[in-house]
Amino acid sequence: MGKTFAEKALGRAAGREVSANEVVTVEPDFCMSHDNTGPISRTFKKIGVTSAWKPERLVVILDHGVPAPSSDHAVNHKEAREFMAAQGALNFYDVTSAGGVCHQKFCEEGFALPGLVVIGSDSHTCTYGAFGTFATGIGRTEMAAAWATGQIWLKVPESIKINVTGRFNRGVTAKDFILKVMGDVKSDGADYMSVEFHGDGIEGMSIAGRMTLCNLGIEMGAKNAVCRPDGKILDFIKGREKSRNWEALWADADAEYAREINYDLGEIEPGVAKPHTVDNYAAIGEVAGTKVSQAFLGTCTNGRLEDLRAAAEILSGKRITVRMIVIPASWEVYRAAMRDGTIDTLLDAGCIVCNSGCGPCLGAHMGTLAPGETCISTANRNFKGRMGNKDSFIFLASPYTVAASALAGEISDPREVL
Amino acid sequence: MGEVLKGRAWVFGDDVDTDLIYHNKYLAETDPKKMPQYSFEYYPGKEKFAKGVKPGDFVVAGKNFGCGSSREHAVYCLKEAGVPVILAETCSRIYYRNAINNAYPVLFVKGLSEAIKCGRIKDGDSLSVELDTGEINDVTSGAHFHGDAVSDLERDIMDAGGLIPYLKAEKGRR
Amino acid sequence: MGKTMIMKIMERASGKEVKIGDRVWCEIDLSTARDFGGANCTLQFDEITDKKGRVWDPAKIAFTFDLQAPSHSEKVSANQKIIREFAKRQGIEKVFDINWGIGQHVLLENGLVKPGDVILGTDSHMNLLGGVAAFATGVGNTDIAASWLNGTNWFRVPETMRIEVTGEFSCGVYMRDLLTLLVGDLGAGGMDFLAVEFVGETIDRSSLAERITLCSMVTEMSGKIGLILPNGPVLDWLAERTGADGDLVRQRVRDIAPDDDAPYCEVHRYDISKLEPMASCPDAPDNVKTVRSIAGEAVDQVHIGSCTNGRFSDISAAFEVLRKGGFKVSPKVRTIITPATREVMAQCAREGFIEKFLDAGVVFTNPTCSLCTAEHYGALPSGDVGCSTTNRNFIGKVGKGSHTYLMSPASAMATAVRGVVTDPRDILC
Repeated sequence: MGKTFAEKALGRAAGREVSANEVVTVEPDFCMSHDNTGPISRTFKKIGVTSAWKPERLVVILDHGVPAPSSDHAVNHKEAREFMAAQGALNFYDVTSAGGVCHQKFCEEGFALPGLVVIGSDSHTCTYGAFGTFATGIGRTEMAAAWATGQIWLKVPESIKINVTGRFNRGVTAKDFILKVMGDVKSDGADYMSVEFHGDGIEGMSIAGRMTLCNLGIEMGAKNAVCRPDGKILDFIKGREKSRNWEALWADADAEYAREINYDLGEIEPGVAKPHTVDNYAAIGEVAGTKVSQAFLGTCTNGRLEDLRAAAEILSGKRITVRMIVIPASWEVYRAAMRDGTIDTLLDAGCIVCNSGCGPCLGAHMGTLAPGETCISTANRNFKGRMGNKDSFIFLASPYTVAASALAGEISDPREVL
Repeated sequence: MGEVLKGRAWVFGDDVDTDLIYHNKYLAETDPKKMPQYSFEYYPGKEKFAKGVKPGDFVVAGKNFGCGSSREHAVYCLKEAGVPVILAETCSRIYYRNAINNAYPVLFVKGLSEAIKCGRIKDGDSLSVELDTGEINDVTSGAHFHGDAVSDLERDIMDAGGLIPYLKAEKGRR
Repeated sequence: MGKTMIMKIMERASGKEVKIGDRVWCEIDLSTARDFGGANCTLQFDEITDKKGRVWDPAKIAFTFDLQAPSHSEKVSANQKIIREFAKRQGIEKVFDINWGIGQHVLLENGLVKPGDVILGTDSHMNLLGGVAAFATGVGNTDIAASWLNGTNWFRVPETMRIEVTGEFSCGVYMRDLLTLLVGDLGAGGMDFLAVEFVGETIDRSSLAERITLCSMVTEMSGKIGLILPNGPVLDWLAERTGADGDLVRQRVRDIAPDDDAPYCEVHRYDISKLEPMASCPDAPDNVKTVRSIAGEAVDQVHIGSCTNGRFSDISAAFEVLRKGGFKVSPKVRTIITPATREVMAQCAREGFIEKFLDAGVVFTNPTCSLCTAEHYGALPSGDVGCSTTNRNFIGKVGKGSHTYLMSPASAMATAVRGVVTDPRDILC
């Protein structure tokens, strides 16, 4: 019997052969945290240690409230800054143009590598699966313990295999596909599991698109989500590798899965997740015409160059009719979008282009919603109150759909403007 | 006529800016009744003002009280706390307008800045203040001050109960 | 006896002859509110008119969103929404939402400000519009709500101070440095209740951005308004922006020019040829020293922007320092640049500045008031020291227990490059 990706990656880290449902203790290759580093460091100090087991394996990227939107945030940042300085500040990304949304930055910097085991004190850590990394989100206390001991216990997850064939039609993206998958699998359908994306449909997809897929693994309850690290990935990581321990792993053809699902990308159409759950899927036709008050393009889910370009494609030479906030996922993305004129196009269309960071995704700043307002967003969660007020509404959609909706002031099918 | 107000003094220095009176952190508040809790939170040594102030207490300050922002919160937070009048050597023009527009009296008191600096008027002193005449007595220290009353137009607005009632009474038209 | 500029403006707006000290009712040309105090204005207006009242003239009201753009809290979002809905209900079309930038600058760029106009706003730095000889003043919500009832408000006719400036700025020295010198000389209450006319060859030659800088800080000396009569390229720009009102703009300039025998309560003369880079030290704008004398002081964050110094030429001055400094800011400081408006930001993008700033390590934000108001981008933790081109460094203004130096964009960028307070001439000249 063959092995799944999770069995191979965790087995490699544990130094022995493992199977689903076993519990293993492994040493993480990297530990990622963000603005919550301050509170974690307090717990860490309570354990009674001063230095992390391997300070070079800590990666801290400030992104949730940058630049600090309040003095409380500022105090929090300072705590992270001081803690990292005490650890040698080897992988610390402060409020500078070296930063960005932690997950985007983590991947750009070459920490997300095939076969590594990465833990992060953020649920969307699963994004790194796009690079063939076994990456999973954990809580603050557990992170403090991992820093102190260099160990974490993990149950080897069962796996779901999603076979993807075909190509997207024009105006349809990885976001539309994964929203559909979430609608089918439901928000708890992959609880504790590893989600593997297989097939030529994935091979034809950009790295950015794969990151969008894996990023939303957690929204189905998954422990991690992963794509095969193919040539595109190996080319990308070349020269960026922050660890020599990587190895391109993939599931065996005869591995055992709890469930298999098949999709043809050619059948996918633009879609949304309606308020207030991520699995409340609707095809665009069902919701077109819904008035929106704000559009938001950005986040670890859809703030990459191709996402910004998609919006610019729709908005070029036109004027938006509702406020639209654009936040590139990292400064590398920002720079590239600046160089190719994408930012210019978005500004001319009336968008507000903010500095890289999480922005309003979690309601902390840069576009918090008021009661009764509706936002169409490329982010990953539409929970009640996620972007501020509990009486506001969030629709999740692709960059194309968000831009088309900002143009019309109501949810619109991007295929009609493209 | 001739009503004499009695209360304790809370004493501040010169150039007390609007962030010290009511910090920008709380600007989103729109209900004046909720503003007193933030009064002087950022003023070093007066962090307890909001909890300790009693209706009838006086705010006593030196020159240029209320400089800085246009926020009317800085008037509301003291008026709603029951401070009956601001005693200051001078106060900034926006603050002054905001006070008059809310029928909230400010007395301009000559020599107050110096008196504060040399301790002739201190925190906790008992004061008696006659609004009509501008006579101010520090019962604790025995010091005496005189405050200037406002000009005619401001007096009319004050008497009407503020700018809005004044305009509603159609006194505002030329 | 002749008339000063503010007297002529008030005579035009009140329709009668005025004397210093008079209280006059003036017609309001533009009554604005922003997401700072704006909801207080609309709620108050609704309250006093039982929600049935109509504003006196929807075309003369504008809303701008800059305090928290985009909003950083539920409460601010709710306030912004209250404003949007009020505007809709009242037929007010001039709503410059979160994607525009700092209010006064947006009003200027959109041709809504003419010399001699009387303009109200919930912003104590409204008076930077005095840079084009408008009488613009910051007021509280009651004043705004009242003006919406009948389009008038009361003012005292102020005495006028005259400041004559001659000479040319030497390398590394800017209008901001003159301003800082003035604040130090005259003090926080130095212009209390006064109008100020800035005149002289230096002023005549100055750009719009420089005039804005100068007039914005009149507030920090408790002045009512600083006025500069538009001329040359500034007048041409203003006439172009106001479109159909272009001729009116030129006529107004002639109408409000002060008389030769106008009465001035004080006259100050400055020759700026020998002026040095200046800084306002913690914790008061009038605690002024030369940048040279505080060189080497450690800072944690540098911020360039605000209504005082957020225009393209300000960012351009900072860019020049960065260029000469090797296109790299010190890793010891966090450097944040915030353009005043989207127009300024687009210009920075076109000129290739933003890319270079990013390469150098700078965080470039969207146009907004940024850390200057209500704890926004770049709030400081206790114990941190900031260096900023904003206009106030009151105790705890950007975070309890923090302290801030105020200086010109060039000095601020020199500080960012070296990581400690630095005289920009050390890099530029």
